[in-house]
Amino acid sequence: MKKKILVANRGEIALRIIRAIQELGHIAVAIYETPDSAALHIRVADEAVLIGDGPRSDYLNIDTVIKAAKNHDVDAIHPGYGFLAENPDFARACEENGIIFIGPSSEVIHNLGNKVIARQIMKEAGIPMVPGTSNLSLGDAGLQEALDFAAEYKYPIMLKATTGGGGRGIRLVENDEQLKIEYPVARAEAKAAFNDENVYLEKVVVKPKHVEVQVMADRFGTTVHLGTRDCSIQRRNQKLVEIAPSMIPDQNLLDRICDTAVKATRAANYFNAGTVEFLIDHDKNFYFMEINTRVQVEHTVSEMVTGIDIVRTQIKLALGKKLAFAQEDVQLRGHAIEMRINAEDPQNDFMPEGGKTVSVYRSPGGYGVRLDGFVYQGFTIPEVYDSLLVKLTVFGFSWHETVDRLRRCLKNYVITGPKTTIPFYLNLVNDPDFQKGDFDTSYLETHQHLFDYTVDVSEVNKLARLIAEIHHKKENKYAA
Amino acid sequence: MDRIVQGMSINEVLKNLRSIDDYVICNTARDLSQSDFKNRILLHTDLLTAEAREKAGYFSLEITGGASVHVDILRKQVDPFLKLELLRQKMPNTMFQTLCRGVNLFGYRPYPQNVIRFTVKEFAKYVDVWRVFDFMNHIPNMQSVFEEVQLAGKILEPCICFSTGPEHTDDYYVKKVGEILEVTGDEILLCIKNHGGLGTPKRIGDLVAAIKDKYPDMVIHYHGHNTDGNDIGRITAAILNGATIVDAADHAFTGYFGPPPLLSVIQTLEEYGKTAVGIDVDAVIETSEILRDERPHYELFESQFKGFLPTVQIHKLPGGAMGSSFEQAVKGGFLDRMPEILHDELPRVQKELGNYWSVTPGSQILWTTAVSNVMEGERYGNCSGDLKNLLLGKYGPFPFYQPADWIYEKAFGPDWRKTLEEEGGIEEIEDMDIDKERETLEERLGYKPTEQQLVTYLQHPNDAVDFFKFEEKFGRSYVLPPSIFLKRGGFTLGETIEFTDCNGKEHLIQVGPKQKNEDGNINVYLNVDHFQRVYVMEAEQAAAGAAKQAEMSKEEIADLATIGDLRAPFSANVCEVVVESGQKVEAGDRLIMLEAMKMQTPVVTEAAGVVEKISVKVGDAVKPGDKLVKLVIAE
Repeated sequence: MKKKILVANRGEIALRIIRAIQELGHIAVAIYETPDSAALHIRVADEAVLIGDGPRSDYLNIDTVIKAAKNHDVDAIHPGYGFLAENPDFARACEENGIIFIGPSSEVIHNLGNKVIARQIMKEAGIPMVPGTSNLSLGDAGLQEALDFAAEYKYPIMLKATTGGGGRGIRLVENDEQLKIEYPVARAEAKAAFNDENVYLEKVVVKPKHVEVQVMADRFGTTVHLGTRDCSIQRRNQKLVEIAPSMIPDQNLLDRICDTAVKATRAANYFNAGTVEFLIDHDKNFYFMEINTRVQVEHTVSEMVTGIDIVRTQIKLALGKKLAFAQEDVQLRGHAIEMRINAEDPQNDFMPEGGKTVSVYRSPGGYGVRLDGFVYQGFTIPEVYDSLLVKLTVFGFSWHETVDRLRRCLKNYVITGPKTTIPFYLNLVNDPDFQKGDFDTSYLETHQHLFDYTVDVSEVNKLARLIAEIHHKKENKYAA
Repeated sequence: MDRIVQGMSINEVLKNLRSIDDYVICNTARDLSQSDFKNRILLHTDLLTAEAREKAGYFSLEITGGASVHVDILRKQVDPFLKLELLRQKMPNTMFQTLCRGVNLFGYRPYPQNVIRFTVKEFAKYVDVWRVFDFMNHIPNMQSVFEEVQLAGKILEPCICFSTGPEHTDDYYVKKVGEILEVTGDEILLCIKNHGGLGTPKRIGDLVAAIKDKYPDMVIHYHGHNTDGNDIGRITAAILNGATIVDAADHAFTGYFGPPPLLSVIQTLEEYGKTAVGIDVDAVIETSEILRDERPHYELFESQFKGFLPTVQIHKLPGGAMGSSFEQAVKGGFLDRMPEILHDELPRVQKELGNYWSVTPGSQILWTTAVSNVMEGERYGNCSGDLKNLLLGKYGPFPFYQPADWIYEKAFGPDWRKTLEEEGGIEEIEDMDIDKERETLEERLGYKPTEQQLVTYLQHPNDAVDFFKFEEKFGRSYVLPPSIFLKRGGFTLGETIEFTDCNGKEHLIQVGPKQKNEDGNINVYLNVDHFQRVYVMEAEQAAAGAAKQAEMSKEEIADLATIGDLRAPFSANVCEVVVESGQKVEAGDRLIMLEAMKMQTPVVTEAAGVVEKISVKVGDAVKPGDKLVKLVIAE
């Protein structure tokens, strides 16, 4: 039966989901705020609803989105990532309005979104955890608890907002003095950002690898994993490059991590697609970090190495289907790397380049190349949203082949207008450590030379600039 | 005789040349470009003709040297080394020839010995025949170039610069040849450098005969200019009296002050039973057929003074300086005073200053002095720094006589004898710390320069840096034909521009609309290889208006100078900042060195004081009235 599915998101992920909806033969409904009027997802969707001027506030407004869904007789909503994707109230609003929420239940989202509850569930299930506290008591008592914890487990420790995510509300603390200063600040920040002043502590794992496991669960008791992803290459806790599977040369360890992820998912009574994140230290200890109850930006790499369309599966599961594959059907082949091509200036602390117009957009193609983007030539990047332009995902049989393909694709890419992360990535793919697959979360800090590049303008563009100048100037100074 | 080709040993070349009773031709493309088109013939055009010129079978192609190295980077935006490399690829057999100004290399004043040797060494990788001259015919000024050319195993062609007048006798020149041979040995070509195209055919014939009489084995290369329309007469006389090589140029580009047409030379001498050895006449004609289509693009650079100029016999300006002189006259608004300058003042100055050879840089000194004498109203009232250096003998001793005392007094004041005694004579120029220059260049460019880049930089530092930055920004623009590179007034909407870049990739650009931005800037839309691009250009009218307002009168500038506010007296480039902020200065101290029209002029303070502020840096272009230095005048 044809269903109508609303995509409560924008940018590349909206397009990704709309494609899956249309491939399944359903009807895709897009929503958009005024600054997104020129966005591609509106054009590609079957129906589109302007939900307000925003910016961001309407994409985040549960009532507005639900209203739009009801006006359009929508059967289901896919929240994508970000915005309302991990908001339990939104999932609940869907449930209450008879709309299928494509994701886990509101209760699961609530439980796993609250880090303290999540830790409690995982602890009971025997999942290895980084030493940490429950919510710190309010006031000076909380500070004393924190100082005691630090004395027992040693610095560095991390102060975290209980409600939070996306790298926000996290503070690294190295000593008692700093802890005394940061403690009240962290609380205030948590309150301001998430309307929840609860904070807790965690021991910091020094220079860990960030490895996560993609899981899928149906309502009939089947939970499978789609292998690991390494997302260690990050800046300020935001991922830039993701690979599948992890390059840790210890299959036994990776298997144990995957099994643990499935166990954790079951413990949480999880349904639909999710990601279990782990930190791995240099002694190959791994610790549960959190479960993300949404489709991840980097889901593409898992799709490439398993051949499983995660978003398609998400929709089918939400519509009540069984998982069409068992764990033994999931075979990992080859390697995939995803790079987030952002409109940012890496040399200027990744300053966003919003507001600029993409005057030339030429993308690579060919074997093993996948592009998930939403920009086109002439598109002006809205200043009010994130800076992700396109995800370049490449697949190859061997790691080296994959890296070679990635380099070729980056070289083939032409984006003029905004500065992008492409020249930085070109440095990165040429870095010997990256080529060896050897990186942890300290990679950018310890590889500062990656920021040392000059943007290579093509010869024809240089000459065209000269021609433009000769054309424009009343007096051609070369002919004077 | 076999055709002489690039790569032959000097002995082989000379043996061949000595064995023939006929003659060979040097295609003087560079001198043609310099004399008749202000050196602006683009590499693109030279590359178009390369195959035909290669086939034509010249002894050599004079394609670099003189002012061309400077103009290559300053105007044509082409690397002088890359130019030779690309031409060599298309012309494997033809020898390349250069014109080197001895100690002044390809510039206007003496370079340190180590820079000279480094420069010659790098250029010798591409240049087979080295014509070397000194405007004073002062052999020590050429010696280091001689040595380096011979060391590199290249063909040395020392010059005797030729002029007319009572001092310029056969005896004098034959003696000069002897002095050269003492330094170089016998394995050379000798050039009679008649840069003005002076004298009659008879005069040149006599001179060649006199030299051949004394040195029968000497291979003489006659170089002339057709300024008076009579160089074929002189060439004929030279060949009939024993010269072996002559200079001529492709006829489609001739017509003013450069060498005469190749074909006319060939046809004329044929009647006398002299054959141009190795020459393929069809290829000579073909070259001009190609060039004829290109000539209209260069019209702007042609002389403002139309027609031949037989009065060159009076004013003696070299062909290579005619174009730039007339250009200055037009830009300076004194074209109407040219007859007076050329026919009265210049010959007078020439005599007064020792009747030396009017060729770079000596010709510029004569010319600027004559212009200044006429325009300022007071003769020698404002002596340029270079004239003073000439009077002090810094370029070498006067060949015939020293200028009169009163000129020295005008230049240096009543104590001129003391000045001459203390400062006179050729200055030993200290070697430059080339490694340090390399570092400086690297700093200015932001990357490691090549040795060739360093050599270019050592010739003309600021212009070289500007050029390298141009290339970084705009790419290798030599691929653009003159119809694009020299386009004036913009292209038409929808016009299609095609070219092949330096990597051999063909491109197509379609000209789109121009559109004004909210901030006043202009968006220029181009469709580049089927993708639209937009180039944002700064609005230019406003800037031009502001500059106009700032211009001051001479009096205002002089008044400000008395209170310590030193302004630029004319349009120039700052080539040296002598003082530093906070430095004490005395009356008469140089503060800034300006360069205009290739001549340097110091900005001198009339009052003692302390430097408060310096408003310019080396390389800045200043207009009359622009702030240079502010002094706090001592009470």
